[in-house]
Amino acid sequence: MNPGTFIQLVIDGLSTGSIYAALALAIVLVNQATGLINFAQGGMAVLSAYIAWSLNGFGVPLILAILAAVVVSFFLGALIERYLIRRFERGDPDTAVVVTIGLLTLITGLCAWIWTYNNRLFPSLFPLETIKVAGAVISVRSLGTIIVIVVIMGLMQALFLGTKLGLALRAVAINPASAAFSGINVGRNLMVGWGLAAVLGAVAGVLVAPQLTLTPGMMDSALVYALAACILGGLSSPIGVVVAAWLIGVLENLAAVYIPFIGHDLKIAVPFILIFVVLLVRPQGLFGRKAVVRV
Amino acid sequence: MPSTAEFSNRTPFLDRGWVRWAALGLIVVLMIVVPLILPEFANQTIARIGVFAVAVLGLNVVMGYTGQISLGQIFFVGVGAYATAFGVNADWNILLVFLFACALPAVLGLIVALAAARLGGLAIAMVTIALPLIGVPLAKRLSDFTGGSQGTSARFSDAPEWTGLYDDQWQLYIVFLIGGITFLLTRNLVRGKYGRAFAIVKGNEAVAGSMGISPYRYKVLAFTIASLIGGVSGFLYMVVVQYTSPETMSFGHSIELLASMVIGGAGSIVGSILGGIWYVLVPQITNIIDPNITAMLQGAILLIVLFVLPGGLVSLPRLWRRRRRGADSPRGPGATGAGARTDAAASVSGSSTVGDALGAPPGSPPPSKP
Repeated sequence: MNPGTFIQLVIDGLSTGSIYAALALAIVLVNQATGLINFAQGGMAVLSAYIAWSLNGFGVPLILAILAAVVVSFFLGALIERYLIRRFERGDPDTAVVVTIGLLTLITGLCAWIWTYNNRLFPSLFPLETIKVAGAVISVRSLGTIIVIVVIMGLMQALFLGTKLGLALRAVAINPASAAFSGINVGRNLMVGWGLAAVLGAVAGVLVAPQLTLTPGMMDSALVYALAACILGGLSSPIGVVVAAWLIGVLENLAAVYIPFIGHDLKIAVPFILIFVVLLVRPQGLFGRKAVVRV
Repeated sequence: MPSTAEFSNRTPFLDRGWVRWAALGLIVVLMIVVPLILPEFANQTIARIGVFAVAVLGLNVVMGYTGQISLGQIFFVGVGAYATAFGVNADWNILLVFLFACALPAVLGLIVALAAARLGGLAIAMVTIALPLIGVPLAKRLSDFTGGSQGTSARFSDAPEWTGLYDDQWQLYIVFLIGGITFLLTRNLVRGKYGRAFAIVKGNEAVAGSMGISPYRYKVLAFTIASLIGGVSGFLYMVVVQYTSPETMSFGHSIELLASMVIGGAGSIVGSILGGIWYVLVPQITNIIDPNITAMLQGAILLIVLFVLPGGLVSLPRLWRRRRRGADSPRGPGATGAGARTDAAASVSGSSTVGDALGAPPGSPPPSKP
């Protein structure tokens, strides 16, 4: 085992893991606020990436195009919450999930209709250079992706723990009825929560698009990884989810190279073998708390 | 001569014993006659509807009746199809092939459920979403058994010489026979002891646990049965299509199957048939309009159905009947929105299949959420 290759695989794994982490955080954010799993999160991320791609195609500089797509995504997420999801919130969670699956189909279909199923080349935010560290060839893109996600996580943490908005968001998530009694506008906070989740998705989308080339189904497998991270980390723990996403990214990268049968096409099975093992030992996830149900 | 209003206050027409037997007889006669008179294309289309009606039926066992969202049903259909192709190409007895096509998905389903059902709520959805995404590369990888990306074909369902039938007629008979038996057995299952347990688990897991019904065990059971029915559907798929490739179990098809189930009617036997019709016919129709909008239309229609008709197409006649009755007699704003739940509960309380299709008996109160 070549130590250089090993380090390189770990860094690349952390980089892809970071993308899963962004999507997984978006799912956790929505789940904490509304108690449902948004299966359309990946589709929304693809739509954001397409918006950035189109703007860039019209001559807008890449960084501005991405920022614009992020802003549009925020409002799109908020509108989806207000006019679609709100009707099914606090109702039967199964129906709400089917709604998000319908939304996923709709958004994927919309992208396919506007931009076709052809692969689009998405320009990378980072230069395609590599640096040599301790015999490992590490791409600047991998490092950049990791840094962007870590910064965003820091901002999220600051938002939730250090601002009034974050406090209100947490209050709504924990107990919407009490939050409403203390004068918090629950509906508006739910919209903001969904908007922020869409922003996280958009960031994941533009980070993954250069790697995978842009197609309507681009985020399908990323969504699966993100869901796997949510199960592994436990839906109630944002940090747990990020750690789980990194773990999945690194393990699947290592398995793809060091376990011949797995290879690159079957590495998506890795997180689920992991889940299988973890669920049999710790059903609430690695970091999650056990939910207590009252009858 | 009683007026219609009086008439509907007595035993509903469709719930009378002889009417049900007559309807059953009529259906059997139709099943025997229809393949003989329809053109080849129609027979093939009906056969494909049968294949996917069985697949939707399996999904209904785990989702409609037990309330566990599964995004992996198409995976088990694919496994059943591959198992069939493998058995046929290895020259097994066809009965053995059929048993293998049922057993392999069932065992895989059991293994998946053992882990997934440990987490409550949406974990099964989150785990099963991976099945088609793992299944496609796995099918490509195991090319010794599956023929890789090329797929594999198996011809075993051509009409035997002595019948004098055309292939499409023979295949449709097979679908009617095996599909019919599957529907009958599943109907009995969800109406009986297990169906009641499923409904309680769906309603409230904590309550189920306190009643001595292990939610875990029944979720695993429902998932295993759904996988087995998926295997039956895969076998029938090979009867009709005679060819399968990794594309058969792609993620998109899995979502289409779920959409078909919801649109047809969750927790309903007749809804499963409507779902099969939807799965086969609607893409054909939207493809004629514009192939590029098929996915978008599917998503949009699914959302619209959830908004205006949560019980699916199967609840349409009941909704209409309630509207009409509502115009005659003032009756509080009924549970028009609780369609899916109503169906599950109605089936538990033992109303008939035909009654399910055309609306619950007027006498039964709208069941409330437990």
